[in-house]
Amino acid sequence: MKKSSISIFKVLVLAGGITCFSSCSDFLERQPDTIMTDDQIFGDAVMIRSVLANYYGRVSWGQHNGNGNSYNYTILDEAGKSDGGPDNIQGYGNDLWRVYDYTLIRNINQFLKGLRETTALADGDKQLYEGEARFLRAWLYFNMARGMGGMPIVGDEVFEYQSGTDITALQYPRSTEAGIYDYIIAECEAISSLLSDKTNQHSARANKWTAQMLKARAAIYAGSLANYNNKMTSPIRTAGGEVGIPADRAEGYYQQALAAAKDVIDNSPYELQLNKPDDLQRNFYEAISIKDNNTEVIWAQDRIYPGTGQQTNFTTANIPGSHAEDIDRAYAGPILNLVEDFEYTDDRNGDIHIRDNQGNYIFYNDPLDAFANKDARLGGTVILPNALFKGTPVVLQAGQKVWNNGAWQTITSGGDERDDAGRLVTAANGPNRSTEPYVNKTGFFFRKFLDEASLASTRGRNSDMWFPRFRFAEAVLIAAEAAMELGQQPVAVGYINQVRERAGIQPLTSVTVDDIIQERRVEFAFEDHRYWDLKRFRRAHIVWNGVVNSPTAQQYALFPYLVVAPGTPNDGKYVFDKLTFSNSLHPRFFELRNYYNFIDLGWQNANPKIVLNPFQ
Amino acid sequence: MMTIMRKYVNMLLLPAIVAVSSCGLDNYDAPESKIQGRVVYNGEPVGVRGTGEAVQLQLYQDGYELRNPIPVYVAQDGSFEAKLFDGEYKLVTRDNNGPWVNDRDTTVINVKGTANADIEVTPFYTFSNVQFSLSGSSVNASFQINEVAGGRDIDYVLILAGKTSFVDDVSYTERREIKGLSTGSTITEALDLTNNADFKAGKPIFARVALRPAGKDQAIYSQVVRLR
Repeated sequence: MKKSSISIFKVLVLAGGITCFSSCSDFLERQPDTIMTDDQIFGDAVMIRSVLANYYGRVSWGQHNGNGNSYNYTILDEAGKSDGGPDNIQGYGNDLWRVYDYTLIRNINQFLKGLRETTALADGDKQLYEGEARFLRAWLYFNMARGMGGMPIVGDEVFEYQSGTDITALQYPRSTEAGIYDYIIAECEAISSLLSDKTNQHSARANKWTAQMLKARAAIYAGSLANYNNKMTSPIRTAGGEVGIPADRAEGYYQQALAAAKDVIDNSPYELQLNKPDDLQRNFYEAISIKDNNTEVIWAQDRIYPGTGQQTNFTTANIPGSHAEDIDRAYAGPILNLVEDFEYTDDRNGDIHIRDNQGNYIFYNDPLDAFANKDARLGGTVILPNALFKGTPVVLQAGQKVWNNGAWQTITSGGDERDDAGRLVTAANGPNRSTEPYVNKTGFFFRKFLDEASLASTRGRNSDMWFPRFRFAEAVLIAAEAAMELGQQPVAVGYINQVRERAGIQPLTSVTVDDIIQERRVEFAFEDHRYWDLKRFRRAHIVWNGVVNSPTAQQYALFPYLVVAPGTPNDGKYVFDKLTFSNSLHPRFFELRNYYNFIDLGWQNANPKIVLNPFQ
Repeated sequence: MMTIMRKYVNMLLLPAIVAVSSCGLDNYDAPESKIQGRVVYNGEPVGVRGTGEAVQLQLYQDGYELRNPIPVYVAQDGSFEAKLFDGEYKLVTRDNNGPWVNDRDTTVINVKGTANADIEVTPFYTFSNVQFSLSGSSVNASFQINEVAGGRDIDYVLILAGKTSFVDDVSYTERREIKGLSTGSTITEALDLTNNADFKAGKPIFARVALRPAGKDQAIYSQVVRLR
């Protein structure tokens, strides 16, 4: 027994020894297939193109309709969270939508260096790719600037570090806030001659007009920051100007914004899309949410199906229950605050008429009638009660109002239940005020970005809906705003009325900053403008003031009810209740510290030249 | 067979010893020392919003590679407390935070055991002679506003009622905003709770007044008073 155990031991040692010496002949000699050398990349035109494509996939920030991002829309005043547990937000995080991606800047700079040296590309393509890469870099700086103010500008620098390198030379201080916008504007000017002036499929790639749009947007942001920050009781600034643009810069920025926007309006191949003048609601939906033959959108994040990881589940998550093709539905819905901000065709006060002067209900034959004569963009942005989606009505009914001994009694039920007379009580879609998932709680569904394609709301497929980042209407409204700020009222009126005319609402005779804020609110709902607009106009702390039941900070819902009053003329009609949105417990509260993201202290530890932001 | 078993047992002992004997260097006891103090003006604590980490002080300690401050949260009665290791610290208010004149001067504090440190600030306005009473469904407040630092208007004054002892401009059940009040004389104002659900439900009532200097991120508050 003992002997045999020794021999087992010997065998084991021998086997181990042989393994050590004989293994791994060429196992570790393989070329890595995930790391490429510069020669491999820049020696091949296809590789260069695919590296550029990679950068396009890394530039989505802020509010957008990508996977799992429905809550982007519920933290402001556009939509409410309806997928179960309540929304407990009491304030905004110091790093909300904060962008700090110097990895991407380094990658783009490496790309530019390789691109300028390569012989694998024709000069025309080189120029084009350089323009696109620099555009994406400028777009990244813009996304950093609107959150944090001035940040280190590294130009085309590709830093090399070896042990012993003096790192203080690699530590760049933050630019001023004006400086970063100036850099973005200058880059856009420099590249607009490198880029194509033609459209491309689904507006997925940057062209000259994209660069002009970024220039216009950066200039109008910088102009309004210079203007409105300095009108605050206590302007938000840092000693070194990393935050805070001098007021005397405003006019110059407005002029740059107007010129760039005007160039897009006058010379670009895009337009305010108007393919269906007889159905302005549908026209507006198609101008933003249908990408084939689109003439409105200048730059978008495109998505394709099939293709791994390309699609978005926005439609899957938010489709009305009555139209759902999978188990998901109704994660969020637009709120009444947004709906009422859409004007009537002839009345600038967009409040829904639910009670008369005596406080009695107003009765509607069809719930949709309550929204008659509203801005056409409302129907193109929001699915209203009983409006059609894919050809069939989306029923939204919270319950019944029963006339009972001289008073209205509210009756609700579980989804899709009927009373003894066979009349619907609460619709399967909702709305209700519970925390039950998959039921609407606001009274409205999204229409903008909701994909009508078959099976686009299934988990297995999802949707190839795009996300427009720049579109023609923005050029028009930037021009209107810049002209208004420069005192050119007739010009401003002309531009803003183009947008209003497409919406089917009355023209204005003069334009104020409130008109601009209002027009952008409804035109660009869910398009990543609202938050940044209220910030740059320094209105966010006033609109989202944290006061319970404030008309702007509290979220509201609109519940439709079927009237049950047999023997009266109102039987079978519909009435509405305006209610606080039950699933959002607190009013929106934007504090002064939220005007600029906080600087991460880790960044400051790595680079002591980075100064902190105000209130930090 | 027994020998083999013993060999295996011996082999098992090694990791066991490693497991038991490791973890000496990287374990510290939790800090036991502390700084405690108040944010004061003329020896009186300054009332602030105590929820949501709204008002903070910052502690720095020199001599280390990293410069991150330790946040110290100020409670609604103006007091603060932080558990620390012994050492020398610098205490400073947070930039532009609080209803007082922004002043980033540091207070050096040597912590050995317990250190007391009051932070002197200069508020823009203070309250004095604050009195509350509950009559029927109305909270009556009388108070005087004193201008201290000057240079800023009064944005608004709030009378706040809450159902817990935490009352501020975010945590409240009833709120009344008053503009255009003047300084230097006694002001009497009322907050109506007739339609307040918590009042009707017989919940406790706490009250406090607040004043927001124009353009500041925070209001100054009176101390919380329980009325019911």
